[in-house]
Amino acid sequence: MAQAVTTPLTQNVLREGLILPRTPDPAVMVIFGASGDLTARKLMPALYNLALNRYLPSGFSVIGVADTALSEAEYKANMAEAVRKFSRTQPVDHAVWQSVADGLSYVRMPFDDADGYGRLAAELERMDRERGTNGNRVFYFATAPQFFPVIVERLGASGIARAGQGWKRVVIEKPFGHDLKSAQALNQAIHAVFTEQQVYRIDHYLGKETVQNVLVFRFANGIFEPIWNRRYVDHIQITVAEDIGIERRGKYYETAGALRDIFQNHLLQLLSIAAMEAPANFDADTVRDEKVKVLKSIHPIEVAKDVIRGQYGPGWVGGQQVPGYRQEQNVSPASTTETYVAARLRIDNWRWAETPFYLRTGKRLPSRASEIAIQFKNAPHLPFARTAIQDLAPNVLVMRIQPHEGASLKIAAKIPGPVMRLRTVNMDFFYGSSFLIESPDAYERLVLDCLLGDPTLFAREDEVERAWGLADTIEKSWGMQPAADFPNYAAGTWGPEAADALLERDGRRWRRP
Amino acid sequence: MSGEHGELSTRTFVDVHAIQDELEQVRWGLHENGEFSEAAEHAAAEARASVLNLIAVVGSERQLTEVSHVLDALSVTNPSRTLILLAQHDRSAAKLEAEVSAQTRTESGHRVTTERVLLHAHGEVAAHLASLVDPLLIPDLPVVLWWPGRPDFDNPLFDDLCQLADRLVVDTDEGFETPDLQRLLEVARREHAGASIGDFNWARLIPWRHLAAQFFDMPGMLVHLAQIQGVAVYHGRDGSTAQARLLGGWIRGRMTTLGMEVPVELRLDDAHEHGVCRFLIYSRGQDGQARFSISHQPGGRLSAEVRVDEQDFVDRTVRLARRSAEELLAIELTLPGHDLLFEEALAASLR
Repeated sequence: MAQAVTTPLTQNVLREGLILPRTPDPAVMVIFGASGDLTARKLMPALYNLALNRYLPSGFSVIGVADTALSEAEYKANMAEAVRKFSRTQPVDHAVWQSVADGLSYVRMPFDDADGYGRLAAELERMDRERGTNGNRVFYFATAPQFFPVIVERLGASGIARAGQGWKRVVIEKPFGHDLKSAQALNQAIHAVFTEQQVYRIDHYLGKETVQNVLVFRFANGIFEPIWNRRYVDHIQITVAEDIGIERRGKYYETAGALRDIFQNHLLQLLSIAAMEAPANFDADTVRDEKVKVLKSIHPIEVAKDVIRGQYGPGWVGGQQVPGYRQEQNVSPASTTETYVAARLRIDNWRWAETPFYLRTGKRLPSRASEIAIQFKNAPHLPFARTAIQDLAPNVLVMRIQPHEGASLKIAAKIPGPVMRLRTVNMDFFYGSSFLIESPDAYERLVLDCLLGDPTLFAREDEVERAWGLADTIEKSWGMQPAADFPNYAAGTWGPEAADALLERDGRRWRRP
Repeated sequence: MSGEHGELSTRTFVDVHAIQDELEQVRWGLHENGEFSEAAEHAAAEARASVLNLIAVVGSERQLTEVSHVLDALSVTNPSRTLILLAQHDRSAAKLEAEVSAQTRTESGHRVTTERVLLHAHGEVAAHLASLVDPLLIPDLPVVLWWPGRPDFDNPLFDDLCQLADRLVVDTDEGFETPDLQRLLEVARREHAGASIGDFNWARLIPWRHLAAQFFDMPGMLVHLAQIQGVAVYHGRDGSTAQARLLGGWIRGRMTTLGMEVPVELRLDDAHEHGVCRFLIYSRGQDGQARFSISHQPGGRLSAEVRVDEQDFVDRTVRLARRSAEELLAIELTLPGHDLLFEEALAASLR
């Protein structure tokens, strides 16, 4: 017989060597907006795939909350259908889905209905009792943003936000406010009930494997960081290009525009990650402190000079004729909403002083590409006769986020032959060719991190507010001078001419990603 | 997986320098006379990604075909220099042939090329193939030795190749008996140039280990871990019991780190064909009596159940994917260094 250990164990020795440091505690995830698109397309498939790969704890449960008339059975059937349609792994394993569905229930209520929260509280208590979830809660706001404040308020007023033991966390979807003022108001509303440590603001870009890879690329390789500064880098271009238009999101897009939709969040996240100093460790606050420092160091922006906006007109993309923005559904025929933004930013610190960062994002561009391109300075002198430095393309290091995630480095090489002729070659590395493992969806990673209580890949209050501050400066200047030349680029081109001029002024050109 | 697949060159050599030359040629897609064509120049201007040297040892033409299929499937995701040794030392007539080829695949506009050398030897030279392998490896990249089937441990080739390799990949499900497991442990624990060991069977156990570990992550369950009285591993009627022994060895080895000696019982389940089919952990102490069980279910699933003092806790079902040789090898190729837990489990299974 085994001799039992007498001192209490503090560590699960069986856990060692397994990929995950631990399994999340059993918890209930309450999804507000449970009958919506995000839940069907992203959340439920993410939960199913997490269960499939053994990442969810026993007893993990989900309560869907929405104001759609559905019985619990109907709700479960809808979710099963959603998983069948949108899961990245196919076919769906019915037994595994069944074990997820066993912990799934549905509460119908308007989000401002006090009685509804009473029923929700009762349902949560039942879960704790029957499934051992111990008061641990994730409140996931997958609703339209106007409901965020009222849900927070009711969670507080009903006592659900603090009830009993266990941890409570809130996940908030983008957009987090629509300007600095509204973001601050939302933060205030949330903080009336939850502390900042309980808040997880999603920017799904941060959940992407390749964005995390940028950090690994920079901080796990000894050779890049020493040249990652103004001495060696000429400038940096960050691109988030989309070939699609606004699809059916005209109503939302009219109020958002490219500045709020992409620039304020994804582009500035990529900027922070490309420009930040090495964090001392990978703790949530250490990493986010460094990212916020970058945003704080952005040189005051001269909008008229350094920011270009654009809107697409009709054109051809990928061999297909497409309408202009003003002809899209639910868009005003005289709309002045921008579908393209390019900006020249400078970062005032020792690493980057005088090194421009060119950021751009747009819809209906020729291709879909997200990348960070570091263009290095030319060699100071070329000893080879009859070869001019200007004939050579400078070294460029590109980190591609999507598609074909990977890295490439452009270097000069001699063309074989008796004459010294040089040309530029591309050393290409793509992650797909080195790792067979299928990348999880960004939502799987983020939901799991939230369950484990790791907010590293979520946006912090000060980060969001800084980013809005910058967007507000641009928006304010634009508001004073509405765009007169829209549409100013044809669908299927790389944006307005003014964006090219922005770089030409500095003697530079946009890359073709 | 879309892509083209082309064999650039196939010829027979016996001279290592000639093989090296040919490798350069196929690596860069040069013409036979060494001149660049425009296409070759373009190809040469692309960097070549190589992540490792891979040596596979096979004993028969049939096995060669199987192994080639696996390597084909891996070539896009693990661009490598691959050496396949068809070593038939029991065939009398001395023979040594080499064949060099390159597989090029284009996927999403990216070219990936894998060079492959097939060395086919009969007779005495078959035991000394390692002398031919060494000069053909790409420097600065890890060397993985994959030995499908049960290796011939007493053949000098095995020892020579293990000396060259950073990692030896086997499948202990291929009829490994106690002395074989013992030899594996010796390779891993060699003081100089000890290769780390990868075992497909160990990778197959990951879901079992994961579920077992998760039992004790549940609130209030950790106390039962310190009170484990014994475990039972049920296995199917066919083939090797190595998998069941490793799973038992794993928990035994882990509990030893707590100073506990846990008895492991292997039990035959006639109704099941092959491999581990059930894993039970019993615990008893001042915090009550608990039984943790994981069972293999039809349709490729595992179900996990906990019973504490006659009360059933939530059970759940997860997928137990049946992994192909490509997938298992792909996992092994990305693992760095020694897997100390595997070595611990292997050692404990031999106690």
